Amino acid sequence: MPRWLAHTIVVILFAALIALAFSRVDYAWNWSGVWEYRQKLLQGFGVTVALSVAALVGSTLIGILAALLVGSKNVLLEAVGRVYVELIRGTPLLVQLLIGFYVVASAVGLENRYVVGVLVLSLFSGAYMAEIFRGGLAAIPQTQRDSARAIGLTPWQSLRLVILPQAVRLVLPAVAGQFVSLIKDSSLLSVIAVSEFTLAAQEVNSFTYSTLESYLPLAAGYLLLTLPLSALSRVLERRFRYET
Amino acid sequence: MNMVMRTFIVILLGSLFVAAAAASAAPPLRVGMELSYPPFEMTDPQGRPTGVSVKLAEALGRHLNRDVVIENIAFDGLIPALKTGKIDCIISSMTATPERSRSIAFSEPYLKTGLALLVGTASPVESAADLDSPGRTIAVKKGTTGHHYASTTLKRARLLVLDKESAAVLEVVQGKADAFIYDSLSVYQNQKRHPGTTRGLLRPFREETWAVGLRPGDTQLRDQINEFLKKFRADGGFEKLGDEFLPEEKAAFKAQDIPFYF
Repeated sequence: MPRWLAHTIVVILFAALIALAFSRVDYAWNWSGVWEYRQKLLQGFGVTVALSVAALVGSTLIGILAALLVGSKNVLLEAVGRVYVELIRGTPLLVQLLIGFYVVASAVGLENRYVVGVLVLSLFSGAYMAEIFRGGLAAIPQTQRDSARAIGLTPWQSLRLVILPQAVRLVLPAVAGQFVSLIKDSSLLSVIAVSEFTLAAQEVNSFTYSTLESYLPLAAGYLLLTLPLSALSRVLERRFRYET
Repeated sequence: MNMVMRTFIVILLGSLFVAAAAASAAPPLRVGMELSYPPFEMTDPQGRPTGVSVKLAEALGRHLNRDVVIENIAFDGLIPALKTGKIDCIISSMTATPERSRSIAFSEPYLKTGLALLVGTASPVESAADLDSPGRTIAVKKGTTGHHYASTTLKRARLLVLDKESAAVLEVVQGKADAFIYDSLSVYQNQKRHPGTTRGLLRPFREETWAVGLRPGDTQLRDQINEFLKKFRADGGFEKLGDEFLPEEKAAFKAQDIPFYF
């Protein structure tokens, strides 16, 4: 059986199961109320896409920087990286957002809540990315580096031609997973009144009192963002595959 | 049979009896509220629900001769919970609005209040009408009547929709928003907490009444609740709750001749 057929069958089975569950709930559907607010939902979706893209780039850069700090031989730099990673990973994003916006950003005069939101989200996700990158580099055996040196490669060449291609392949699934989490975590930005997708759905719910009709489009919207990401990660994994 | 075994069987039989006895009585009344709106809905230091609405629900339970279970549910989840049968009624300082009436039924109103403004000291805003211009920013709590009012009537201002009352107050305190639209009592209390940075425009620019939310088909419970509210008022129950939970506010509102409550 080809893979696409298997996938289609499983998706249809899941859909049937969910449809069955919904058909058993005694619920008065009211799609027209939510349809009136479609503009609001679309706007929220747009904001979430923009926030996510910005935070994906930001968290990757911060992650690389933090991984370098943590791996640094300078104890001071290493300490900075360690404290950052542990502080961020050990505290809730909700608290980071509230303190980041109402305390830190206010103190330095940064008033734009969208910018602050992207920064906090990037810092949050960057800490996880740092550990993923560090783990990926550490997983390449020392013999690889030694062999690279033995055939006369410079440190930069050995990183570019030997270490990175292998490390990228190792970290890709984890990075894709982290990106998916990041997109869903962006919903927390609503606590500092960033009108993103989840807040839009919550508002529509509170205006129309149509809970499921407001939240089902929300689930569909997030899938629309996260599924291509997973697909892309699988394509890249195949490209970086090598013979063992 | 050893001691442990015997104890176990005794406990098992005992709990069966208790379960049977409980099942024979009237089912408990499940009252939904969000326990984050002191002094109406809150928790005591031990984490038990308390406040005006909780006392009201308990008095209702005594009137109906039914046990009362308080379900703590986020405000914008209350109506869905009621509609899907997870709770029997809502006593959560909920304003009876035409929009909500399309979705659920309400008892007779039990309390009168209105929307007021918490304004930053630096903001020139003197009335709700002042807020309706492009340079103004309004903070609201999600799903409240203030949220609805701002999004339908004050369309030219920028709207900040927040999850928590405390965050909306903070927006005003830090001057990020011109005003927070909320009920006059909450505005009064928040102004007291931030005297240097905020002003309270307490006179309601829109009057509202609070009522118990019910399923539309549940006419029997509605009649029972209306009867209870009438009796509770006649017996001075609301006066007593006001004296117990809001003595200072009652006096302050009376001094300014602002319609207050119950």
